[in-house]
Amino acid sequence: MNINSISKDDLPWIVEYDSDKCMLCGKCVAVCSFGAIKVDVQKRKKVGAISNEEGFQIDADQKAIPVIKQVIDEHKFCRGCGVCTKVCPNGAIKVSRNKTEIFGTRYRAKTSDSVKRGGRTNIHTEGRTLDKIKVGRISQMTDPSLDAIRHTFDLRTNLGRVVSPENLNFKVENGNLVEDKTKTLPVNTSIYPIIISDMSIGALSPRMWEAISIAVAYLNEVKNIPIRMSSGEGGIPDRLLKSKYLKYMILQIASGHFGWNRIINAMPYMQEDPAGILIKIGQGAKPGDGGLLMAEKNVKLIQEIRGVPKADLLSPPNHQGLYSIEESVQKMFLSMNCAFKFKVPVAIKVAASATSVSVYNNLLRDPYNIVGGFFIDGIAGGTGAAHEISLNHTGHPIVSKLRDCYLAAVHQGKQGQIPIYAGGGIGMNGNLAADTFKMICLGASGVFIGKLILQIAGCVGNDFGKCNACNTGRCPIGITTQNPKLTQRLDVDTVAQNIVNYILATDIELKKLLAPVGNSTLPIGRSDALVCVDRNVSKRLKIQYAC
Amino acid sequence: MKKTIDTVKNNERKSTQILMQEIWEGIEEGYNEFRINACGQHNIGGSVWSKDGGELNFYVTNPGQRTGGMGAAGTNIYIEGSAPADTGWLNSGAKIVVKGDSGDTTAHCAASGKIYVAGSSGTRSGALMKKDPKYSAPELWVLKSTGSFSFEFMGGGIGVVCGVGCEDMPSVLGDRACVGMVGGFVYYRGSVKNLSDDVFVLDLDENDFEFLKEGLKTFLKEIDETKYYDELIDFSKWHKIVAKTYEERKKQSDITLKTFRLNKWAEEVGGSIFADLIIDDFKAHDLVQTGDSRLRVPKWKNYAYSAPCEYNCPIKIPTQKRFSLLRAGKIKEALELVLDYSPFPASVCGQVCPNLCLNNCSRLKVDEPMDVKMLGSLSKNIMVEPQKITKDKKIAIIGGGVAGMSSAWQLAKNGYQVEIFEQDDDIGGKLAQVIPNERLSKEILDAEIERFKKLGVKINTSVKVNAELYTKLEEEFDAVVIAIGAHGAVVIPFEGYERLIKGLNFLKDSKKGIKYNLGEKVVVIGAGNAAMDVITEVYKQGAKDVTAIDIQEPSAFEKEIKSAKDLGAKIIWPCFTQKITEEGVQLKDGRFLPADSVIISVGDRPIFDFLPKSYLDEKSRIKINEFMQTLVNDKVFAIGDSTRSGLFTNAIADGKHCAENIMKYLSNDVLIDDANKKKLIPQNRIKAEYYECYQPTCDNEQNRCLSCGYCRDCGLCMQSCPQNAISRIEKEDGKFEYVSDSEKCIGCGICSGLCPCGIWELEDNN
Repeated sequence: MNINSISKDDLPWIVEYDSDKCMLCGKCVAVCSFGAIKVDVQKRKKVGAISNEEGFQIDADQKAIPVIKQVIDEHKFCRGCGVCTKVCPNGAIKVSRNKTEIFGTRYRAKTSDSVKRGGRTNIHTEGRTLDKIKVGRISQMTDPSLDAIRHTFDLRTNLGRVVSPENLNFKVENGNLVEDKTKTLPVNTSIYPIIISDMSIGALSPRMWEAISIAVAYLNEVKNIPIRMSSGEGGIPDRLLKSKYLKYMILQIASGHFGWNRIINAMPYMQEDPAGILIKIGQGAKPGDGGLLMAEKNVKLIQEIRGVPKADLLSPPNHQGLYSIEESVQKMFLSMNCAFKFKVPVAIKVAASATSVSVYNNLLRDPYNIVGGFFIDGIAGGTGAAHEISLNHTGHPIVSKLRDCYLAAVHQGKQGQIPIYAGGGIGMNGNLAADTFKMICLGASGVFIGKLILQIAGCVGNDFGKCNACNTGRCPIGITTQNPKLTQRLDVDTVAQNIVNYILATDIELKKLLAPVGNSTLPIGRSDALVCVDRNVSKRLKIQYAC
Repeated sequence: MKKTIDTVKNNERKSTQILMQEIWEGIEEGYNEFRINACGQHNIGGSVWSKDGGELNFYVTNPGQRTGGMGAAGTNIYIEGSAPADTGWLNSGAKIVVKGDSGDTTAHCAASGKIYVAGSSGTRSGALMKKDPKYSAPELWVLKSTGSFSFEFMGGGIGVVCGVGCEDMPSVLGDRACVGMVGGFVYYRGSVKNLSDDVFVLDLDENDFEFLKEGLKTFLKEIDETKYYDELIDFSKWHKIVAKTYEERKKQSDITLKTFRLNKWAEEVGGSIFADLIIDDFKAHDLVQTGDSRLRVPKWKNYAYSAPCEYNCPIKIPTQKRFSLLRAGKIKEALELVLDYSPFPASVCGQVCPNLCLNNCSRLKVDEPMDVKMLGSLSKNIMVEPQKITKDKKIAIIGGGVAGMSSAWQLAKNGYQVEIFEQDDDIGGKLAQVIPNERLSKEILDAEIERFKKLGVKINTSVKVNAELYTKLEEEFDAVVIAIGAHGAVVIPFEGYERLIKGLNFLKDSKKGIKYNLGEKVVVIGAGNAAMDVITEVYKQGAKDVTAIDIQEPSAFEKEIKSAKDLGAKIIWPCFTQKITEEGVQLKDGRFLPADSVIISVGDRPIFDFLPKSYLDEKSRIKINEFMQTLVNDKVFAIGDSTRSGLFTNAIADGKHCAENIMKYLSNDVLIDDANKKKLIPQNRIKAEYYECYQPTCDNEQNRCLSCGYCRDCGLCMQSCPQNAISRIEKEDGKFEYVSDSEKCIGCGICSGLCPCGIWELEDNN
């Protein structure tokens, strides 16, 4: 052992093993997808002595016993997923976070490479803004409150461009209001205010991706919840493109344009239009970075569906033909509108940034009425693979950014004309309804969620360094892997059912927030419904301070 | 006793409080019937009771809200015309008859008593009605219809909505009736829309008919509308609403997600959306798997890797196999095995070899390396059978030194006709001519040379191969091996170099018994292994003060240096010689080393005087490829010190490798560039933890061996496999193997983790 060698205490997770409890069934080692534990032999020696009537007796005993050992390696290290603990019949093995947090230093010093991982930001400098906001305006004696169960609520929101009243397709003829057929209205759709956001096939296993699609279809077809899912940019299976369920799918086009040739080829055979098109410029987890799919996950299926060979797939950080906001509108929005005959709303997704308001202001001036939505993604967004430095240190918190954009639109009297969807850490504390409701009150037309869906599906990762190994393709749950032996662990029906259940629960909880404030439709921008227990936050967001 | 109260007098309205006080006083006075011309006062008829427990009757016009609110049993309230909201609120037993319409939340929270409405009632009528088992159930009878949200959160009691004149209404119970209803019944006549999911709608049964027949009679009589009786007892238009039970509420009425996937989804997308790209049965597997689904699989890879001894030995002698044979009691086989690799196990392995094989011996992890010198020496007296010539190819070997003999040994053992041409009067090369007897016992070497001679190789001694003979050999033999060694001592042309004694010649002469007059002080230039031999010999010939110098760190092995130093020699470096004088050695840095004699021992070069110039490069080295084949002539090979200076083991390895390639060459096979390409077994695979440290003896040496990469057949894998997946298969030839049954194995790697020899390898299951 050299003092400079990496040691157990350097690793992010410590495997705690109790050889007295272990019955050597081998299950923990068999299931560890990271190869982070191994069977080994330990030498035990006991030497003692006793002096009795027979004299001074030395008693020495030596044996070698089998043990489970943590692998000490900067690549095959324990990620803390805890699957070993799950399968151990005797509770002989568990993992605990190494509080020294030295691993990143060691890793960089040893490999001269940046740290890469999946998940969300792991740096918690301050509490969540949304948790400092309460729904504080309750209708009681002042006006009739609603009953979340008894009353009917319309939870739908807009996706698509909304025009000012003077631009509606009406005119006055002989003192009557009649339709003006010379004006065309931009497409606008009514959808659920929660969008399952863009996680690509490739980032996710085929089972996971299909489970989400099934859950979305079920929620629409059986539960009448018009929820939509964004495809992510990793290609779309032909069978889905040609099915009626395409109508629940928002197709994403990112800088790599992966799989779009298949979408184009499928167009003549589409029974339904997709629910929307989302042009991805950036994402909150790693602003300024393009998509990253490590070669480990770029298996044959992905190579085929994306039309690329085996390699690390790095999408460029921006769309290479776009140089300005105006050009984006001219080129990308027009192209995507043309592709679907102006019948499908086209929205854009950017990473929240100090410049987001300028972008939104500019889009609001869109003269063609073709900008159907503005998706802003905050720093707490998740990803399948990113440089840790991007995850932890790049980006902009979402709440004030949403508020700024909304108020910028209010200033122009154009609020709601380009619906704002906000994402990045929504539902991070486990309660999607609360976050969604607050964001809506602050001006969002809806929210989008990604990481939460994975957690609903069984992802064991958290924002305190647990697992976060999506990039390795060794997801122990079968969610973010292309290894069939890991994928097969995932139960599609359970995953889909869990997603359905969670959304149904969220639906109930959203109503539990709508009812007391007395709204039966979404209170978009109704910030008077909120109070904030933090004076700085309240001032910044222009909502009432309460203490 | 009747009492009439007018609540408006002289344009002055009595407050609710004044009215109530008049009623209470009247009851005190014994009145039991009140006619009240009200003006919107609240709670008329509510919360009152007679002194004697008899009935109280109220006839009311124009009442305010909550008429009969908190009404007690024995109270009868008759309202002429309509009543505003909350009539019968919290009714606890009163009979309340409204001769017109009744407002919102009629019968709200009614827990007993009867409320009859001759018209319609407002929204949330019957909300939260409940039944206390100690009292009779509350009833709300409505002739026409109710407003929306009627009977919500109803927990008990009976609602009857007759729908008279409401035949065209979409819903006689308004919108969203019976939300949150958990008990009671609601009878209705006509249609109902948008009823809550908490209830079922049933047809009536006989009991319902009986109840309604009787109830309707009373109701219609109370409200003076008996004319509708016949119309209303046509029960075909009636329905009954009952709340779902606790269990029924939990049942899902929608199709399940799995049904949706297996039917609607599968039908629409053709099974799975990925069905044309991958095969997936959608079966969710347990974490612990066997067969193809395991993450990893164990492989029994016996002797797939070299042990450190084998790997580090230039000849690749598998010493781990020799110890294994010894453990198995196969002593003869163990001692013979080495002869497949070298004709000099006793002389080289046992005597002169620095034993690189033990540099990384795994036993070092326990205590000391294995004793391979002893093992080599034990093979000294193992005899060989004379060769049987089975091949018609002839090979000439120029040089009967170690390399040439090694080559001849292998070729002869394989049945080739081999002829050695040696310029000295005997074979053995430098082993015989140069190595001092102190380092290599003459008896041992002679025994091994004798054994070699027994093999039957034709040996021509005292034959100096010249150009003419060489040409002949090339013509007559199918292959020629140049193994002439390095017998030209190198001399560096310092000033006064003619005074230098050549180390090689000195050693050769010494071995023949020729003594030199060296004097007391001797300087040896060079500090390699040969120089150390020179020092030993110099001391033997009487020198007292010997210094070896080198321009760099001495290249001799530590052991050789130590024995030279033990004799008293000094070794200094770096020293750059400027000139040799009569008095000694002048160094370039000014130092002067006095010496009676100066011996140079900085290396030897081969002498290729018989070879055409084309065989040599510009530095007079013979040009060969990685197969030890000369670049000029395919059939001519060159090995040993004639190609590069090396250890005896290098020479033996060259001879063996060259012989293998010659055999391939002669049978038109592809030549190989390395005789043994096996990788070294990773050190962490060898489990030294099993071994105790103890004093070795001759008898137990074989037990000390860790048998790296070579199965010791201990069966620990079988014993420890938690799945009982491993079995041992004995083969006909006495060999064995262990196999893991993939149908049982979960790929845990206990076999590989515990295997003392590193035989089981856990591989990713791809």
